[in-house]
Amino acid sequence: MLEVADLSLHYGRHVALNRVSIRVGKGETVVILGANGAGKSSLLKSIAGLTKPDEGAIVSFDRRVVTGMPAHQVVEAGIALVPEGRGVFGDLTVEENLALGAYARRARADANDSREFVYDLFPKLKERRAQYVNTMSGGEQQMVAIGRALMSKPQLLMLDEPSLGLAPLVVGELFKSLGRIRERGLALLIVEQNVKMSLSIADRGYLAEAGRIGGENTASALMGDAAVQRAFLGAPR
Amino acid sequence: MLVAALLSGLVLGGTYALVAMGLTLQYGIARIMNLAYGEMIISAAFLAYVMFSTLGLNPVAGLLIAVPTGFALGYVVYGAMMTPLVARARDRASLEIDSILATFGLLFVFQGVMLVTFGANFTSYSYLNDPVTIFGTTLAANRVLALILAVVFGGGLYLLLTRTLWGTALRAVAVNPGAAPLVGIDVNRAARLAFALGSGLAAAGGVVISMYQTFTATSGVVFTMKALIVVIMGGVGNLIGALSAGLILGLVETFVATYIDPGLTLAATYTIFLAVLLWRPAGLFGRLTR
Repeated sequence: MLEVADLSLHYGRHVALNRVSIRVGKGETVVILGANGAGKSSLLKSIAGLTKPDEGAIVSFDRRVVTGMPAHQVVEAGIALVPEGRGVFGDLTVEENLALGAYARRARADANDSREFVYDLFPKLKERRAQYVNTMSGGEQQMVAIGRALMSKPQLLMLDEPSLGLAPLVVGELFKSLGRIRERGLALLIVEQNVKMSLSIADRGYLAEAGRIGGENTASALMGDAAVQRAFLGAPR
Repeated sequence: MLVAALLSGLVLGGTYALVAMGLTLQYGIARIMNLAYGEMIISAAFLAYVMFSTLGLNPVAGLLIAVPTGFALGYVVYGAMMTPLVARARDRASLEIDSILATFGLLFVFQGVMLVTFGANFTSYSYLNDPVTIFGTTLAANRVLALILAVVFGGGLYLLLTRTLWGTALRAVAVNPGAAPLVGIDVNRAARLAFALGSGLAAAGGVVISMYQTFTATSGVVFTMKALIVVIMGGVGNLIGALSAGLILGLVETFVATYIDPGLTLAATYTIFLAVLLWRPAGLFGRLTR
């Protein structure tokens, strides 16, 4: 469904991404693992249209080329991004954040159904729907961010470090929710430092290092991979 | 005398609030610090004057022409002058500086055209200049109407921004412009519409002002300054802030003029401006961003 080919990106002279190619199938959950600075966030931002990749890149979604499209059009194509740091509208209420999630034309007609699903997924948001988002805890704000992204009726949901800065208990709940989103048939593309958790819900994974994709395998194979264990899971060398 | 001062303070404050709401839209959402804002107000005042004195059109009906004209003018000015600046701006801070310089130039274009057309004399016209008695004091009917119009426009704008998805999207751009595209909002389009809406409000303010004040081709600066003070005092981009700060400023000015000395109004303006900023640096309703 999502095909990324030869995507490069540089900031000044610094090469952030070097001819990266990945793909995500329909309803598939894919995780990108890699150290800080491996270019994982840059990759998601390029797909979402927040940064313009270098010439030569091809990003297609549902057989439609979305390369270089501005972000607000990428949303209309069916790709939603939950950015690192969440990107919620702090001075607005939960309800307003969710309503804006369905701002895209593709999502407006079904806004009520989508809201039902989000409230069902995160009952806490329903309780706090009149609360200003910047008065909420990190975990709750992450729920708002994911809920808002779901409101746009995406076929592909991209999450950039969703567990960053959250307590372990909250992280567990978060991944449970992601599992439920996955059951709904949405494709997920997750960049995550919590390797164990993300591999547990993923079908496939890529290894990113220094702006390149160094490897690719099924989630279960990666879980057992000695190199992955050494690099990310803290196994003895 | 107290009631009289209170009422004329409310009229003045209502006008300030109305005018400041337009500026806060332009600055808060489009990030354009529009120094030609006062000239847009005075242009509308002259438009109302011309329509009244040559066509016999009363200013309330004139609003139906002036406000859409202001909106269209803002839309065109943004497209012609601001779009190139937005395209080349590295960040919002540099856009702010560029827009200050560009609109500073625009100020003199507007002012020059008005000076050539209308001269430098004080202009006014007499509309609904009949006494009305409210709470035992008499007030010109046009002032009462000015207050009512300010309330109607302010209330309408508030409902537009809080009760509609479109208005909520504009607020979202003010709150977090980086994240707005992620929900499908075209930030440049939102900024352009906010700028146009702000110009429409400037036009409304100009018509309202022309009903009860005299004005000249060069008095726009005063309104830009007052609007700017109100916007900063209330908290940038905050509508309720602009509303309350506008009312406070109008009341303080009128009370100082009535009970102390009319010559001290400007001093009073800046004193409470300073006091508010010392007490709350981000404005009455503003939040300091990290």
